[in-house]
Amino acid sequence: LLRRLAATSLAIVLLLAVLPARSARRPRYGGTLRVEIGTAVPSVDPDAPTITPEQTSTKIQIDSLIYESRDQDGTFNGDSGSGPFKILSWQPGKQLTLQANEKFGNGRPFVDSIEITMGRAFHDRLLDLELSKTDFTEIPAQEARHAVERGVRVNQSQPDELLAVVFLEPRARPTARQALSLAIDRSSIVTFLLQKVGEPTGALLPQWASGTSFLFSTAADVPRAKELWSQITPSPTFLLGYDSADSLEQSVAERIVVNAREAGISMTAVAEALPGATLHGSSPAQKTGAATKTARPAWPVDARLVRVAMSSPKPVSALNDLLLTFNSLAGGGISASPLRDLSSPSDIYEREREILDTYRIVPLVWLPQVYGLSARVRNWIAPLPGQTWPLADVWLDTDDKSTDIKDR
Amino acid sequence: VTFRSKLFLNFMIALLLAVGLVAAGVTVVTRRVFDEMNAQHSDAMVQQFQHEFERRGQDVAHRVKAIAEEEATTRMAVDLSRPNADVSVYVHDARGVSSSHQLNFLDFVGNDGAIISSQEYPARFGYKLPWVTQPDDWAARGAFLMKVETDQGPALGLMAVSTVRVGDRDLYVVGGERLGKEFLGSLVLPADMRALLYLNLDAEFQEPNLIDDKGPAPDADRFQRIVEKIEADPVEQTEKISWGFDPSNAEVFHALPLMGRQKELLGVLFVGSSQKTVVSLERRIRWLALGVGAVGLLLGLLLSWWGAARVTRPVQKLVVAAHEVSHGNWNARVDAHGNDEIGQLSKSFNQMTTQLVEQRERLVQVERVAAWRELARRLAHELKNPLFPLQTTVENLQRAREQNSAQFDEVFRESTGIMLGEIDNLKAIVSRFSDFAKMPQPELTAVNLNEIVRTVVKLFEAQFGAVGRPPITPELHLEENLPVIQADATLLHRAIENLILNAMDAMPAGGVLMLRTQKIEGGVSLEVSDTGTGLTPEESERIFTPYYTSKQHGSGLGLAIVQAIVADHGGRISVESESGVGTSFHIELPALPPHKPQVFPMVFEKKEDEA
Repeated sequence: LLRRLAATSLAIVLLLAVLPARSARRPRYGGTLRVEIGTAVPSVDPDAPTITPEQTSTKIQIDSLIYESRDQDGTFNGDSGSGPFKILSWQPGKQLTLQANEKFGNGRPFVDSIEITMGRAFHDRLLDLELSKTDFTEIPAQEARHAVERGVRVNQSQPDELLAVVFLEPRARPTARQALSLAIDRSSIVTFLLQKVGEPTGALLPQWASGTSFLFSTAADVPRAKELWSQITPSPTFLLGYDSADSLEQSVAERIVVNAREAGISMTAVAEALPGATLHGSSPAQKTGAATKTARPAWPVDARLVRVAMSSPKPVSALNDLLLTFNSLAGGGISASPLRDLSSPSDIYEREREILDTYRIVPLVWLPQVYGLSARVRNWIAPLPGQTWPLADVWLDTDDKSTDIKDR
Repeated sequence: VTFRSKLFLNFMIALLLAVGLVAAGVTVVTRRVFDEMNAQHSDAMVQQFQHEFERRGQDVAHRVKAIAEEEATTRMAVDLSRPNADVSVYVHDARGVSSSHQLNFLDFVGNDGAIISSQEYPARFGYKLPWVTQPDDWAARGAFLMKVETDQGPALGLMAVSTVRVGDRDLYVVGGERLGKEFLGSLVLPADMRALLYLNLDAEFQEPNLIDDKGPAPDADRFQRIVEKIEADPVEQTEKISWGFDPSNAEVFHALPLMGRQKELLGVLFVGSSQKTVVSLERRIRWLALGVGAVGLLLGLLLSWWGAARVTRPVQKLVVAAHEVSHGNWNARVDAHGNDEIGQLSKSFNQMTTQLVEQRERLVQVERVAAWRELARRLAHELKNPLFPLQTTVENLQRAREQNSAQFDEVFRESTGIMLGEIDNLKAIVSRFSDFAKMPQPELTAVNLNEIVRTVVKLFEAQFGAVGRPPITPELHLEENLPVIQADATLLHRAIENLILNAMDAMPAGGVLMLRTQKIEGGVSLEVSDTGTGLTPEESERIFTPYYTSKQHGSGLGLAIVQAIVADHGGRISVESESGVGTSFHIELPALPPHKPQVFPMVFEKKEDEA
C-alpha cells in the first residue's frame, strides 16, 4: 500500500509540474484561424433576409464577430466592424475573411484574421481537420465518437439541446401518448445512434442545469406500454414527423417506430421537408433560439420529433423558453405560463412534472454541441446556452503539436 | 330439282364436311402443338428461374461466407466475445459491409440472437432474431427464401447465414439479396414472355405486392385467384389470362410457388407467355387453311359438277329416251357403254324398247288379223242376208220351171224382182265399204268448231224431239272465244254427226246429250257425252275398230270414220264409258294440223269404279 501511495504521489507531482507549465504558457497574437462551416450564408447585410434557420443561426455567429454587442432580444449593436473583427473580404455563400479590429473596446482579438469557408460537407471538414487544413468546425453529435476514433481533437459543450417528441393537439389521447413514452428505449438511442454522446432524459431540463433530471425515469417499460395500448380501441396509427434534412432525427424517428411496433403501437415515420433546407451535416448548435423552430410548417402528423436548444444556462429562463417553444410546436395546449425568476428547484421540478404528466412532450435525449479543433487552437471554451462562439478569445499555438483530443 | 342438282348437292355437302373436318382437325392439332410449345417455353423459363435461383443462392451463400471470413468480422466476433463488450461500436457496420459485398440485406447477430447491426433495418439494433440461434447447420443449408423485415416494410429475400465462432460464442452473419424487380430484370426472357413475382408478405392478397421488372405490375387483381389457389395448394399452376376481347392479348401464366425455410408460401413466380405470336400463327394457318379450303371447294365444285354431269348424262339420255317412248316413239335408243349399272340400265332400256316395238308389231298383226276376221264375219253376215233370199228365189224359179207351172211367169217376175232387190242390197253393202275405203284427205280451212257444233245440233233438233220416241235434250257448253283452227269443216261436220247418231242410238229411252268445247294448249277440244246405256270395257276397247258394232243394225263404220277424221286432222280421240251411266267421247284437235297427219293410238280410259 505504501509503495502504491508513493507511486501515486510521484505521478501527481509530475503532473502538477507539467500542467502549470502548459497553463502558464502566454497567449500569442497573430495567425489566421481557419473555420469551416456547413451552411452557406448568402449575405452579411444585417437587413438581408435569410432563407433557412441554419443560415440564420450561422449569420448570428458571424454577426457576433463583427458587431460590438448583442441585446437580450438578439439585436446587434453598432456598425459592421465595430466588433472584434471587421470584414476583409466576402464571397457570398463561399468565403468570408475577417480581420482583427485593433480598436475593439474589449481588446484586440488574439488572431489576426479568421477565414470562414462556407458550404463544406461534414466529411470534407473532418478530413480537413485530420489534415490540419482547418482549425475549427462543427461536428454532429452522432459523429463525435467516429471523429475521435479518427484522431480528431473534439470538444463538446454541456448538453444543451433537447431531442423530444411533441404531440400535436388533439390528435393523440393521453393513454396512447403515455404508451409511446414507455415504449421508447432512450438508452439505446444514446448508446447506438448517438454513440454514447448525450444523455438519455425524461426531463425538460438537463441534469447539469436543474439537478433533478434523474428523478424522471428514462427506462422503457414495454409490457406496460402494451397494456396501455391494448386499452385503446380503436387503435390509432401514429404519424411521427421528422426533419428530412436531419439524419439524426431520421435515425431516431425510425428507432422510435421500431420501439413502438415492438410494443404493438402502430406508428409510421414521415419525413417532413423544410423549404430551402441545405444542411451539410451541420450541428444543431446553429439552431439557437426558439424562433428558428417555430418556422416549421404544419404537417398532418400526430407527433413530431424536434430538437430544441436551451436559450439560457439559467433553469427558469431555459424552462420558460422551452415551454414557449414546445407550445408553439404543439399548436398550443401546453401550459406556457412563465415561472418566476426566483423559483426554487422544487418549483421547477413540479412544473416539469406537471407538463410531462400530460405526455404532450416526451423528452428523449439531451445533446451537447460538438466542435472539432485543430491542435494549435488554444483557449477554446465551449459556449453556454445562448452564447455565441468565442472565437475572439482563441489564440493559435503554432509550436504545439500535441493532440489534445478532449478539451473539456 | 334435277337428279344432277341433287347429286351435285350431295357431292358439295360431302366436300364441305370433309373440308370442315380437315379444318377442324388442323385447328385442334395446331392448337395442341402450340399449347405444347407454350408449355415447353414455360417449363424452360421455370427451369431457368430455378437454375438462376440456385445460382443466386450459391452466390449469396458464398458472399455471406466471405463476409464471415473477413478479418474485420473476426475482430468483431473476438471483441463481442469479451465480457461487457461495447456493441454500439458496430451499429453502422452492416451498411458498409453489405455495400462492399453487394448484398441488399445484412445483419450481424450476436450470440443471443440480438441484432448488432442491420443494413435493411438500421433502427432495429438490439432486437432479436430468434430463428438465427435455433439449431441448424447453416453451412449445409445454403440459401433459402425468407420474409425480411426492413424499414420500408417486409420484403422477400434470398438469404444465407454464416457463423463466426469465437470460444463458445457465435457471431451470425445473415445476408441476402432482395427478390424484386431487379431480380426479375436480370432474368433473360424471350420477347414474348415476361416474369412477374408476387411477394406473399401479407395475410391477404395485396395488389402492389405483384411486381414486374419495372415495379408494381398493372392489373394485379387478375392474379388474385391464382395466388389464392396456390396458397390453398402450393403446387405449380397454369392459367390463361385474357386482357381483352382480342385473343392475341391473352397470356398463359405458369405459376411457380416459392416456399420458405419452414415450407411456408413466400412468393409466386409467374412466367407469362404472350399468345400474340401463337394467335398470329394460328390465324395465319387458319387463313391458309381457309384459302386452301376455298380453292379446294372451288375445285370440288367444278369436279362435283363435272362428276355429276358425267354420272347423270346417261341417265339424262335415258330420261329423254323414256320421254320419247312415252310419246310413242318406241324406236328411241340410248348409247350403252360399259358394264356398270348405268350401262346395264341403258342396255335394258334398249332391250325393253326393242321388245315393245316387236310386241306392238305383233299386236298390230294380231289386230289386223282380227280386223280382217271381223270384216270377213261382217261381210259374210251382210252378204249372207241377201244371198239366202237369192238362193231361195233361184230354187223357186228352178222348181217352177221343172213343174212347168202356169204360175212360172208370175214366179219368174216375183223372183227377179226379189233378186234385183237383194242385188241392190249387195250393191249398197259394197258401196258403204267402198265409201269407207275412199275417205278423202281433209282440205284445211279456218273453221270455228262452235259453229260446226251448232249447225250439226240444229240439223238433229227435229229428231231429238220426234214424235213417238223419247226426247233427247241437247246441252251445249261452248267456250266463247274459242280459237279458230285449221280443219276440214265437212269432215268435222260428218264426224260430229256420227257421234250424235251414236249417242242417239245409245239413248233409246231418251236422255241428255251434252256437247262441250274448250280451249286447250295448242288447239281445241270437243266432248260429246250421253246418258245412255254405256259400253262394256271390251266394247270400249274395240269401238273404233272398223266394222265393229254393238248394235243390231249398225255397219260398224261410224266411229271408225270419226277416228279416221280426227287422226287425219292430227288430233286424238278417246272414250270414257260406264255401263248404265253413259259414254263420253273426247276429241282434241290442234290449231294447225301437222304436215303429215300422225296416227295416234287409241286411248281407252276406265273410270275408277270400273277398275
